[in-house]
Amino acid sequence: MEGVAMKLPSFKSLAPTAISVASTFSIRRSLSFARRSSSLSAATITADSEPVSLGHRARKDFRILHQEVNGSKLVYLDSAATSQKPAAVLEALQNYYEFYNSNVHRGIHYLSAKATDEFELARKKVARFINASDSREIVFTRNATEAINLVAYSWGLSNLKPGDEVILTVAEHHSCIVPWQIVSQKTGAVLKFVTLNEDEVPDIDMLREMISEKTKLVAVHHVSNVLASSLPIEEIVVWAHEVGAKVLVDACQSVPHMVVDVQKLNADFLVASSHKMCGPTGIGFLYGKSDLLLAMPPFLGGGEMISDVFLDHSTYAEPPSRFEAGTPAIGEAIALGAACDYLSDIGMPKIHEYEVELAKYLYETLASVPDVRIYGPRPSESVQRAALCSFNVEGLHPTDLATFLDQQHGVAIRSGHHCAQPLHRYLGVNASARASLYFYNTKEDVDSFIVALADTVSFFNSFK
Amino acid sequence: MAASMSSSCCLSSLRLIPFKRTFFSSVNPPSKNLILRPIPSFLRTIVTFQKIPTVIVPPLSASSSSPSSSVDLQPIEELPPKLQEIVKLFQSVQEPKAKYEQLLFYGKNLKPLDSRFKTRENKVEGCVSQVWVRAFFDEERNVVYEADSDSVLTKGLAALLVNGLSGRPVTEILRVTPDFAVLLGLQQSLTPSRNNGFLNMLKLMQKKALSLEVKADDGTSESTTDEASVVEVDLESKPPSVVEVEESESVSKIVALGSRGMRIREKLDKELTPDELEVEDVSYQHAGHAAVRGSAGDDGETHFNLRVVSDAFQGKSLVKRHRMVYDLLQEELQSGLHALSIVAKTPAEV
Repeated sequence: MEGVAMKLPSFKSLAPTAISVASTFSIRRSLSFARRSSSLSAATITADSEPVSLGHRARKDFRILHQEVNGSKLVYLDSAATSQKPAAVLEALQNYYEFYNSNVHRGIHYLSAKATDEFELARKKVARFINASDSREIVFTRNATEAINLVAYSWGLSNLKPGDEVILTVAEHHSCIVPWQIVSQKTGAVLKFVTLNEDEVPDIDMLREMISEKTKLVAVHHVSNVLASSLPIEEIVVWAHEVGAKVLVDACQSVPHMVVDVQKLNADFLVASSHKMCGPTGIGFLYGKSDLLLAMPPFLGGGEMISDVFLDHSTYAEPPSRFEAGTPAIGEAIALGAACDYLSDIGMPKIHEYEVELAKYLYETLASVPDVRIYGPRPSESVQRAALCSFNVEGLHPTDLATFLDQQHGVAIRSGHHCAQPLHRYLGVNASARASLYFYNTKEDVDSFIVALADTVSFFNSFK
Repeated sequence: MAASMSSSCCLSSLRLIPFKRTFFSSVNPPSKNLILRPIPSFLRTIVTFQKIPTVIVPPLSASSSSPSSSVDLQPIEELPPKLQEIVKLFQSVQEPKAKYEQLLFYGKNLKPLDSRFKTRENKVEGCVSQVWVRAFFDEERNVVYEADSDSVLTKGLAALLVNGLSGRPVTEILRVTPDFAVLLGLQQSLTPSRNNGFLNMLKLMQKKALSLEVKADDGTSESTTDEASVVEVDLESKPPSVVEVEESESVSKIVALGSRGMRIREKLDKELTPDELEVEDVSYQHAGHAAVRGSAGDDGETHFNLRVVSDAFQGKSLVKRHRMVYDLLQEELQSGLHALSIVAKTPAEV
């Protein structure tokens, strides 16, 4: 069939009566120009003043954003926890179940062949999205956490020996700490943690110095979900490879927001979650270099990942199937492919550019509120923050803050440790509040948030 | 008790319950519902052909402004007296913001907890903020509580419990179930995760009360086992009501509508001109409920399930929709109608 990952037209033509919901989104047609033409023409519309901003245009694709909660308009500022899904992605999922749902890979009949084609096409789309050289380097998992566990149990258990070192940072998400703890306990490997420098970003010099002959793996985030900082992955990979160490990149907060090119980064492993990039939950992926995957033993055993099965032993399939035991989340994978299409149609560079602006606006307006302490680096010429801010207000517990914002203003932020307890302990706080944006947010969302925040602070202050 | 209306059960509406009745179902198959047009009022009976037992009452409907729900709640009279007062106070305050203020006021006046008591054993698990609770006996073997939290809202909740339960005997404290959180009306103002903390606070306080009793009763083995079994029964008989799961039976029960049911139907029919209207009398499910006994006005018609599909709900939030229905049924609510479970949709949402 096609060797090139083309975007197939949606299956609306097969069933004209289906998905009447799509027709209610009249604005979808206005975005259809981006579908037909190349991304170049879409890029000519910059996120500037007079033309409607990307946020305003994109909002129309997200029905969930147009509702009231607790009597106020919803302002969704929790995309770092999970993103919202555009109609196109929901449609793809519905289409799958409605028209060609069938188990993949071994079926002969028409539906099964179609499902398999679409599933593998989704794999190609993901590969193209991160510029992997071969779609077989994409292993579908349940989410990024499972992907990291896959590397830990499969690669880690067979490659780490007593005394080997795994380098992490204190700012890692729990999913990139706990699996390594488990595996290092089993293998005798040692975990080492890079701490933060005075700019509140992981100390790169310290990281460089930590890398030694003993280092076998460096597992770090690309963009931090708390600090909003990013790490120079390309350089880290160079340093690691010099000593023969591998690099795993947790790209959950980067793949949805910017161009991520695994060949350029030259990372050995990279993980991301679908649900943070406009795709459904229940699916994520691991990117691994072919030669690495080929040498790795299976993670989960079962159907699909085998070649021949006898009573006393079995032989295993080639990657990526080797690591995809059991029936996969077929519809979800296909919807993830649709999410990749949707994002590519807008253009990741455009999304990133818009978010950089929005990030700056968020930071500046938030920093101007008295008694607010934002974590992570200050934005500057050399430092670009992601479009999120974790912060605390003096004398106000983040949970109280988040509750009041939600109940009285319909503003949805997150409070807690954001799955980064070591980081919070390091920063000396129990919890923080976090507002995180995506390309469907607008400046008005930020404004609403700040107004609500000011009201909340004054409410609680009046009780002091 | 079923009313004395015609026992001839006319199958006036046959419904295929749609697979998922969530608020956010944005993609619907071309309508396959066999819903008939509004039932002429002379047909007395409504039949729900099948109830899908896993319908979870969406949290939104639990957050309606009505104080009543269709799930069995512990009657307020069983609570310790101070707690009853607190519940009534909160019920009298309608506006959420004012409830917060009240809560914060309680928290502010809570006696601070000495930091040496902020130990691991005293920490409440499952709280997003940090909460500590301490318990000890006074001279009369009543339990005295002290608590603290770094979050002022949680401190308020802790203060409620401390004020409500302190100075009471162990048995009374152990009888309290978290149901009253619903009565406070705070549940809709507090997110589920915070509510869990509330639940856990109560549980810890009860656990501490029990262990004080056990420790004090070290010689008498009989009474301790009594306490233990009392606790067992109490803590497990009423499930936490943080998320209310509809205890529907997958039994098709044909209940003829009594006069109240008819009045409800007529009122809603007239005022909302619904596309679909279902009024189901489920009072039999609550026959044992203390509040039902004796307080019902009309042949025991106290609990109803309503399903209304009407254009009148267009553009209104779920809370507003429920309020509309409640406003229309004010008279009934004041004359013995105890609880309504409402599904309110616009025709587009079905």
